Amino acid sequence: MRGFRNLGVQELTFPREGVAILGGNAQGKSNLLEAIYYLETLRSFRGSGDAQLVAFGCTVFRIEGDLAGDADPVQVAAAFDRGSRRKRVYLDGDPQDTLAAGLGRVGAVIFSPDDIRMINGPPAERRRFLDVVLSLNVPGYVEMLQRYRRALAQRNAALKASEGPTALEGWSRMLASSGSVLVCARARWIAERAGSFSAHYEAVSGAEVAALSYRPSVDEDETLASTEARILSALVDAERRDRRLRTTTVGPHRDEMAVVLEGADREVREFGSGGQRRTAALALRLVEADTVRDVRDPDPLVLMDDVFAELDQARSDRLLARIEGGRIGQVILTAPKEADVRVRRDALPRWQIEGGRVAA
Amino acid sequence: MNAIERAGKELSRLPGIGPKTALRLVYHLLKADPARIAQLTGALTDLADRVRPCERCGNYSDSDLCDVCSNPRRDHTTVCVVEEAYEVGAIERTGQYPGVYHVLGGKLSPLDGVGPESLRIAGLRTRVAEEGVREVILATNASMEGEATAVYLESILRNVQSLRVTRLARGIPVGSDLEYVDGTTIAEALLGRREM
Repeated sequence: MRGFRNLGVQELTFPREGVAILGGNAQGKSNLLEAIYYLETLRSFRGSGDAQLVAFGCTVFRIEGDLAGDADPVQVAAAFDRGSRRKRVYLDGDPQDTLAAGLGRVGAVIFSPDDIRMINGPPAERRRFLDVVLSLNVPGYVEMLQRYRRALAQRNAALKASEGPTALEGWSRMLASSGSVLVCARARWIAERAGSFSAHYEAVSGAEVAALSYRPSVDEDETLASTEARILSALVDAERRDRRLRTTTVGPHRDEMAVVLEGADREVREFGSGGQRRTAALALRLVEADTVRDVRDPDPLVLMDDVFAELDQARSDRLLARIEGGRIGQVILTAPKEADVRVRRDALPRWQIEGGRVAA
Repeated sequence: MNAIERAGKELSRLPGIGPKTALRLVYHLLKADPARIAQLTGALTDLADRVRPCERCGNYSDSDLCDVCSNPRRDHTTVCVVEEAYEVGAIERTGQYPGVYHVLGGKLSPLDGVGPESLRIAGLRTRVAEEGVREVILATNASMEGEATAVYLESILRNVQSLRVTRLARGIPVGSDLEYVDGTTIAEALLGRREM
């Protein structure tokens, strides 16, 4: 990597089982994980814009990863130029026409203290999680998401320009055709994974049970075509209100994915304790790891950004058991000090990081 | 600003020409026979003075009606709707299309401030109402905006008596390997498959 945050120019070869990276605050632990995970999603897991990732005094960053797993070795590289605001992705050195071509090559899952935002935050945070997981694991999803967002921007602009009903209908139909793919993919993934979410939650919490449920703005139907028809008729029904508010008020951009505490039938987001919220966020990441394993068939590369600091002893022990009990690949974790290294405690070599420089 | 810089600046406003290429063109022209510059300026002046949209279809033309609209051997009951005038040329080069055209002058894009009233749509309705048109072929691009434009046109033409409204087929490019075609295109091609 070069020019990424405070990491300078470095080339690192990670041991097959993984590594524990120790360092104080603001030394670059999270930056290193951010750089690695950038190759999976082509954006910052911390929600930073690409321009913010470029090191002070540089105009370009570039990250290259040589993936030497059991599958065919591949080199993924990503580069961003702050001057031209251009981002490019390369596979085995060949520049790709679209960023989508480079998505999800690493097969990584990241656990971070910021994950709590997925539970505490507004529905947009949970939609973002869903969209990232599905973009990486469902073919064609990311293209439909882009089409949907573009159609939504056009329909909203048409509403602001007070265009006639016929002109609006064109955009509504575009929204329905791309939106139906999103709704069906989300419904299917949540239905398939709800069981393992509850199992992960129960295992980490020790006793309580929670359920994952999809609350779409417009319900999915039996088929893609009938879902499309439903979304279209919901858009038509909402037209008067949409015109008044000058924005599109129904559709998958208003979907919610709720985590509900069983028995109490209450949403963790509103009624959960700190521990319950953290557990829910961890369970979502564990489900994501399952998806990577099932769909892309590598044991996922697990990145853990100082996650145990926030958990009580009992929950951390159970999380550990859950992670180590499943099939996972390489583990790269960060921690401020030795006592916080808990995963594969004996197996992981220790590296230090200081001022962005990693020393093995 | 001297003459060389001015010429360079004007040329660099053209699409696909940066400042360096523009200057190279300027020096090329300076070295060439002065008559060549006169020919070029004459041709450009003619573009501005003589070329205008065809009154009927909106394609560029030297006269009131373009070559296609004024040709009695063309099938004037079939109208192919395209976004831009240069797309007429693309279809004409196939030599497979006997009908006439209608150039919209763009596509719907509220984000760019382009609504139905900014396009040559009223003219299309008039033609359909007055010229005995039997089929309108919607040949707008397969982009999001092109599709929305086609949907819009279909809905305003839907209720015209005995008018057929068709859309250009989408699918696998001729001569390409299935293996290299993207998933969205293959899905479209499957939906649009036909009997053999």
